[in-house]
Amino acid sequence: MIRVLVSVGLLVCLLVPQHSIADHNPSSEQIYWEVDLNNGFISTKPMIIDDSVIVRTSDFWSGDDRPKVYSFDLQTGNENWRFTNNYSINHDVSPLSFATSSSGDCGSWGDMVLVGWTDGKVTALDFESGELIWQSQTEVVDYGITGSMVIDQDQLVVPTNKGLSKFCLADGSETLRVDLPQKGWRNGITLTDSGYLLGNEEGILNHVSKDGIVTSQEIGEGKIRHAPLVTTAGVLIHLQMQSSSGIFVDGELVSTEGSSPAIPIQVGNKVYLGTNTEVLLLTCEQSCNVTGRTDYRTSGEIVRQHIPERVDRVWFSHNSQDGGWSYGTPGQNLTSYETKHNTFKTAGPGFSEDGSIAFGNDNGILMVFVGQISNTEKSYQTHDDYSMDFDFGLLLILLLIISAFYFQVNANEKTVVKAGLLVLLVIAVVVLPDVSTKWSQEVSKLETPTGDWNESWPDEWQDTQVLVIELPNETLVVGGYSDYNTVEELTEVAAMDLSLIVEYETTDIGIWITSIGGYTGSGWEFTVDGTRSNVGISLAEIDEDSVVRWTLA
Amino acid sequence: MVLTYGTHGPALAPSQFLILNLILVAACFTLLCQPWMSKKKDILVLVSITLAAAASRILLEPFPNVQPVTLMCLIVGASLGARRGMAFAIITTLLSNIVLSHGWWTLFQATGWAAVAFAGSRLSLIVNNKLAMRRLVIASIITSVLFDWWVSLSIYTTGMTLQEFGIYILNGLPFDVVHALASVVSAFWIAPWLANLISEDRAISESAHIVGEADVVTS
Repeated sequence: MIRVLVSVGLLVCLLVPQHSIADHNPSSEQIYWEVDLNNGFISTKPMIIDDSVIVRTSDFWSGDDRPKVYSFDLQTGNENWRFTNNYSINHDVSPLSFATSSSGDCGSWGDMVLVGWTDGKVTALDFESGELIWQSQTEVVDYGITGSMVIDQDQLVVPTNKGLSKFCLADGSETLRVDLPQKGWRNGITLTDSGYLLGNEEGILNHVSKDGIVTSQEIGEGKIRHAPLVTTAGVLIHLQMQSSSGIFVDGELVSTEGSSPAIPIQVGNKVYLGTNTEVLLLTCEQSCNVTGRTDYRTSGEIVRQHIPERVDRVWFSHNSQDGGWSYGTPGQNLTSYETKHNTFKTAGPGFSEDGSIAFGNDNGILMVFVGQISNTEKSYQTHDDYSMDFDFGLLLILLLIISAFYFQVNANEKTVVKAGLLVLLVIAVVVLPDVSTKWSQEVSKLETPTGDWNESWPDEWQDTQVLVIELPNETLVVGGYSDYNTVEELTEVAAMDLSLIVEYETTDIGIWITSIGGYTGSGWEFTVDGTRSNVGISLAEIDEDSVVRWTLA
Repeated sequence: MVLTYGTHGPALAPSQFLILNLILVAACFTLLCQPWMSKKKDILVLVSITLAAAASRILLEPFPNVQPVTLMCLIVGASLGARRGMAFAIITTLLSNIVLSHGWWTLFQATGWAAVAFAGSRLSLIVNNKLAMRRLVIASIITSVLFDWWVSLSIYTTGMTLQEFGIYILNGLPFDVVHALASVVSAFWIAPWLANLISEDRAISESAHIVGEADVVTS
């Protein structure tokens, strides 16, 4: 009977989903809700407006699934409405905008959610009902709208794929159209006293006057993927370059930094920036100088949470498999704020004045903490899923050892052997992921790389890191990188330079790449210098002259 | 952690799936019907154990390579013979893979466990209705590891060198150890119970049945 009980106990313990024990546990004073949208990524920050949380989804869409904009009740999480764009099939990464009811020369309008789409449409949705108020079409070359829009009095100013358009907020009629020669991606618009600033994929900063006259300035060889910032020292650009980034003020290089720059923000004379390796603080007076830096990996939106006389924080999303969000000042330790669903993310949090926070991640999960900021701060500073899991395993082993001891005391040797074997098995299962990872790393040293250099590649790529992606119809190659340590790091940066979206799936045993450039096939496989790796992309180390090749399985 | 290999060998077209399924199902029928049809009671016992084995695979799926089926194949092979044991192995694989995912690897799993059952029938694991536990433990360790290596062949495709395949096998050793350990645990926890269950059922089904009374006329 005891044997049966021990067996059942073991089975029940093993079958309890471990994450339920390690779950995030909000304080009792705070309301928490979450919703899995099952609809692609959340790539841009949610908005909390009054008692509603507005969020959009993005992905490469196929079949019947399409991107949506959702509205949820802040207090309950009940869905108020959703709007689907049936024609947008690429990643929609233009942040949502909100227009409060007002009027201007071209008419009056109510509270509206303004959305830019990669099919080139701009839609104005009724804030209360989600009904379409108006929509306008802009050009689509590869993509449509991917940058942040800006409201200028009674006009909505939109960065289109190859230009800029202005629409009347009241009815969506176009009031200004400017064609530009360069294509843009995530090239948000900045409103200045004299007009608008926007960059593009060729490193050109365009200044468009309010009546449409364009003047251009070449910043450097790279890509401008954020709304330019106007500081007292000049216009600041964080230029994305081949394997690094450059901070430019009025076209002058101030500092060379790491790769994959995040979308910077400005708070007074402070500018907050991020890269694949660090977050940075620039202080700008007559000139801009780096006054703080902290090791951190962020490549998405940096956002400010400001509740007058209560909270003033800058938040960074940690774009890694297990990172959460953090806030603080570069130059000091950041405070981490981890959530129940830590995974890749580029979307910043959305805030309300009552302290509520809305988080969205790459798995399309929206998490909302309603209420007092002080409670959330205290509750979520430290949280380690792995240690909880490990403690659970230890508890199980302890239980079995006690059982074995009990049988030993009762002189039941056979049962002692059985219980002892079970202890061994449980230990083996618990340590297997770590052991197998370390073992794989050792085994991989036995392999002799065959080399994967192609003589037709540029000579300057010799002794640098090169990434090859074999798509069904073409092979993309990009090189000249350095200082990346793993396949994951190089792939992320190089794919971004190739304007390819990489989709990841996080499992208990590591990270998979499920899609590159919208191609899924039966999965993606990689080699390093012509040799298959024995470990996952996060652990597969590369040298300074490695060639990483991705092929469809 | 071999995420890079990703797939389990070649992807099969629907027609190839059909052929694979037909081969496996036909093998089961042949094994169960030859050399004579099994008794209903035998079939019932076999079906019950098969369902339990398939369920155990599904239930234990979250735990990498914890597979009591290997041990069960040895016991069923030893108790019911090679044919029933191999049929048990194939049906268990097919049934559980309906849930766990079916593909080219099913062929290797089914044949691998069938070979284990065949080995069980030849290794005198049950002597005089008693389990030879020492022999069973050794057999379960060896067959677990050999089974893993056999199934690993499913990822061997053209273009993969022998050295690469050797590295792949070497890479999987921690998983082989867990499989072997799980089989030893199963040998102590499941084997006596399973062997008893089968032998008791067979004893009942093979005992003489009284179907009427006989009048004895004595002179």
